[in-house]
Amino acid sequence: MGRVISATLARGLLALLIVVALGPILWTVLGAFKELRDIVTPVPKLLFEPTLDNFATILRNPTIRDGLLHSGVVVSVSVLIGAVLGIPAAHALARHAQRFGDDVQFFVLSLRFMPPVAIAIPFIVIYLDLGIYDTLFGLILVYLITTISTVIWLSVPAFERVPRDIEEAAAMEGCSPFEVFWRFSLPVAAPSLFGAIVFTFVLVWNELLLALTLAAQNATLPVVAASITSLGKEVPWGVINAATVVLVIPPLVFIGLLMGLLNTSVQSGRK
Amino acid sequence: MTRKIFVRLALVPAISILATLALVSIAGAIWFALMNRTLRSPEYEFVGAYNFLRLLRDSRFFNALEISALWELITVTGTLGLAVLLSVLIYETVQKPLWRNVICFAFLVPVLLPRVAAAFIWRFMYSPSLGVINYLCGLVGIGPVEFLADPSLALISVAVVDIWQWGLFFTVIVLKLMETLPRDPIEAAMLDNARRWEIHAYVTLPMLKGPLVSLALVKAVESLRSFDLIFVMTGGGPGKATETLDLYAYQMGINMGGRISYASAMSLLLLVVTTIAFTVIWKAGKKWAA
Repeated sequence: MGRVISATLARGLLALLIVVALGPILWTVLGAFKELRDIVTPVPKLLFEPTLDNFATILRNPTIRDGLLHSGVVVSVSVLIGAVLGIPAAHALARHAQRFGDDVQFFVLSLRFMPPVAIAIPFIVIYLDLGIYDTLFGLILVYLITTISTVIWLSVPAFERVPRDIEEAAAMEGCSPFEVFWRFSLPVAAPSLFGAIVFTFVLVWNELLLALTLAAQNATLPVVAASITSLGKEVPWGVINAATVVLVIPPLVFIGLLMGLLNTSVQSGRK
Repeated sequence: MTRKIFVRLALVPAISILATLALVSIAGAIWFALMNRTLRSPEYEFVGAYNFLRLLRDSRFFNALEISALWELITVTGTLGLAVLLSVLIYETVQKPLWRNVICFAFLVPVLLPRVAAAFIWRFMYSPSLGVINYLCGLVGIGPVEFLADPSLALISVAVVDIWQWGLFFTVIVLKLMETLPRDPIEAAMLDNARRWEIHAYVTLPMLKGPLVSLALVKAVESLRSFDLIFVMTGGGPGKATETLDLYAYQMGINMGGRISYASAMSLLLLVVTTIAFTVIWKAGKKWAA
């Protein structure tokens, strides 16, 4: 009997935990479809007449539209360059660089941990002097620190998991190191590499501080979202909720991939 | 194409871009920290250690240092405590793989949210007049509570959001690590009639000591970049109750007349602390991997 009660209690607690994890997000999604008078109620409303006005406001607002566009350009270009330069480098580090490989990896990973404010402050002045302050090019350039280092950091283990036999057999057949990489290692490691690229995408998409300091006018979506607290007199909670939803969708699309990445890295880490 | 050329072609572009950018920002920070440069005037001169000496007499800097230390303490212990507690709970009560996967998926969602989005979501819920949390508080007769405007509550309220994002994420990691542990020691303890919590306190968790310490250090470095969350939720306020070092450096460098040199000195300090912490993580990680 006591077992049944404690099992039920545990179930209830876990259900509560799922609500705590997802509830805030679902509540925001609901808010995005509410009119302001349905939000400003003493008792929170679960039933209401849904409206698309908030999303319409967002898509009609030129600042937010530009923010979306800038985010798209900056994120895709910096992630693409990060992948093109980072993936071959990761392969070389995993397979060909025994002597100095550790030091290079230490350097690359240490960049991942650099406080953004330590990058932002000097780059403001340097960009002002060079005349590339407040340009998408400048923003892409600093984001390369994040994208290249993250791609390398996550791709090295992916290449280390590629069975050595395949590569050695290919080399015996007379394939050059580049052919081994391009025709054998890359396809085998591809699923994990895709996970690494997605993770990098999420990091850059979510970034605020560098975009805020280095591109005031040509800002990305997080900066625009952070600045719409006071459109007009009242706090436009419906619009803020809708903007939050737009900001949240791209990273959440990839949640399944992150789960897979986590599973493989935990398992290989314990071996 | 020989091996040497391939390695060079693969490594040199990526590493040289990274090295150039890192060198430029660090050299820039050191250079500007020794000047008295501001964004307002184009003229500046060498002032030596003046900026660093002034930091020592700046009470707002020490306030920011204290808030940062407090923030580190709350978020790191909160995240790890929650992760250990919840992962043991799930490990014990949920046996079906399907349900475990459902929970893991749910727990991964918060950490994927952009910090700005998480900040807005919770600001909405914390709101004294229309927030859900204050409605719930009202039901049990408390409130309305000014979660973000009360200086004694603001830091904790923001930390809750950070722990919500990272604690649930780390729960998934710790759970996955527990699933990979060998069963023998656990079964041996069960044969000795050890209680459930005793098994975890004395057998499973000690086996995970290495990874748990690594997770704590990763979170400690991650917590240093709390800017997004605090900036959107409180902007450092009320007063200076939530002003961490990166927020103060931002305010100095951008808002208050753009005192770039002073802000550089501060960010250099942050950089040194992070580098030391990171080197410790790296060395520790190597030791446990071996």
